[in-house]
Amino acid sequence: MQTVKITVNGALYEETIPARMLLVDFLRDRLALTGTHVGCTHEGVCGACTIHLDGEAVKSCMMLAVQADGHAVTTVEGLARNQELSVLQKSFREHHGLQCGFCTPGILMNMTDFLARHPNPSDEEIRQGLIGNLCRCTGYVHIVKAVREASKTLASTAG
Amino acid sequence: MFPAHIEEYVRPTSVADALAANARYEDGEAMFIAGGQSLMQAIKSRMARPRCLIDLQAIEALKGIGFEQGLRIGAMTRYVEIAGDERLRGAYAALRDAAAHVGDRQVRNRGTIGGSCCWNYVASCTPAVVLGLGGTFNLVAASGARRAVPASEFLIGPLETARRPDEMLESVAFAPVAGRAGSAYRKWGLLKDALPVVGVCVQVTLDAAGVCTAARVSLSGLSAGAQMATAGDAALVGSKGEPAALERAFAAIADSADVQADKWASEAYRQQLIRTLGADVAATAFARAVV
Ligand SMILES: Cc1cc2nc3c(=O)[nH]c(=O)nc-3n(C[C@H](O)[C@H](O)[C@H](O)COP(=O)(O)OP(=O)(O)OC[C@H]3O[C@@H](n4cnc5c(N)ncnc54)[C@H](O)[C@@H]3O)c2cc1C
Ligand code: FES
Ligand code: FES
Repeated sequence: MQTVKITVNGALYEETIPARMLLVDFLRDRLALTGTHVGCTHEGVCGACTIHLDGEAVKSCMMLAVQADGHAVTTVEGLARNQELSVLQKSFREHHGLQCGFCTPGILMNMTDFLARHPNPSDEEIRQGLIGNLCRCTGYVHIVKAVREASKTLASTAG
Repeated sequence: MFPAHIEEYVRPTSVADALAANARYEDGEAMFIAGGQSLMQAIKSRMARPRCLIDLQAIEALKGIGFEQGLRIGAMTRYVEIAGDERLRGAYAALRDAAAHVGDRQVRNRGTIGGSCCWNYVASCTPAVVLGLGGTFNLVAASGARRAVPASEFLIGPLETARRPDEMLESVAFAPVAGRAGSAYRKWGLLKDALPVVGVCVQVTLDAAGVCTAARVSLSGLSAGAQMATAGDAALVGSKGEPAALERAFAAIADSADVQADKWASEAYRQQLIRTLGADVAATAFARAVV
């Protein structure tokens, strides 16, 4: 057992955990932040567990929680501010960027990071950015649209 | 829980401390963890059951890209950093080609050049590119002894390298390239940016008139792992990268390469990929050869 200090969505958590605990299990089982999903078993290919580690999109099933000791994690629960959804979240709702919603938290986390680094992406760039997230429902068309429209909204409100 | 019990997790801040932690265990019982993008799969499936994990994330000496004598890339340098480094042009551009298309952006935010080469997965991109560019692996042992092992000797075969259990990979180095040189890498996989069914890396050196004086071709995705392919050298050297010469070179490589069928692709399909990708990659390498 090891005691770790991990900042999650701005709050510092000090927890004693076994070294083998995956970061995604720490978030879901210890902190009850069940917005981060588990879609695949051990391959790390579905992206449903995507979170931000120090502001970068990573797969939380491909890390141990002890590796996040001393770092800052953001999960989908941390995207809304004062009960208000982020621009990207609103865009997903408006443009039907989800059906069952299982993949959505991971896609939101990946695309939030993506848009911060690619403020004016082409559809092709958005599709490239989505390679690490599987969606079995939508066929991606509305996801791409939701990301594209969010980028426009962000650009128009930025300056 | 997926992973088996892990007794100890340590996060040293120096290479010496990491090697000392490793030396406290029997060979193979302690494992270094870099980006975890291969090792975590193995740990979750219990194919690997380390008693101790030595996390290299806090060792700054293992990170970064330097151009002091040729090129030196720290083992803990991530794909995202290699893909985004515009100084990796000409002779070294193939490294960016490969890094930019490994897996997906989440994987590239964690995975490292050192982890990829130490794992040496049968179908992986970086080992073939380091081999193709004639790289050298800088290893350091717990005793402090250092050795530089050429890629051709380091990359023994799938999941096998010349690294000894008491050694850590510090960096991957490339000798300075004299004159005009260009390189490129491209792969074809079942999904966009997936593991290569076939990948081709080409590096060419040109004289002042644009005539090729040296060529290096390596392949990824074949059953023997990353490998050099020399059968096209005769057609490439002396050419200016004319389409006919490139076609001849990669026809020779496709005919002579040890190509095997698997559930992903037949032998003939892989040979066709070598011909098509190869000519395209070589044309890019010629075009990138800068003064
Ligand atoms: C979804 C997905 C898609 C992928 N797609 C591709 C792809 O298209 N092409 C491709 O090439 N790869 C692909 N990969 C594999 C990826 O490249 C891995 O990141 C890489 O193989 C391992 O690097 P790592 O830093 O994550 O190493 P780790 O997984 O942390 O370590 C791998 C091995 O190297 C050892 N090790 C690490 N660093 C050192 C060191 N400095 N000294 C000694 N030993 C060390 C570890 O002990 C371990 O045995 C993919 C992986 C995933 C999950
Ligand atoms: S659960 Fe599928 S990538 Fe993490
Ligand atoms: S909305 Fe169902 S998996 Fe994407």
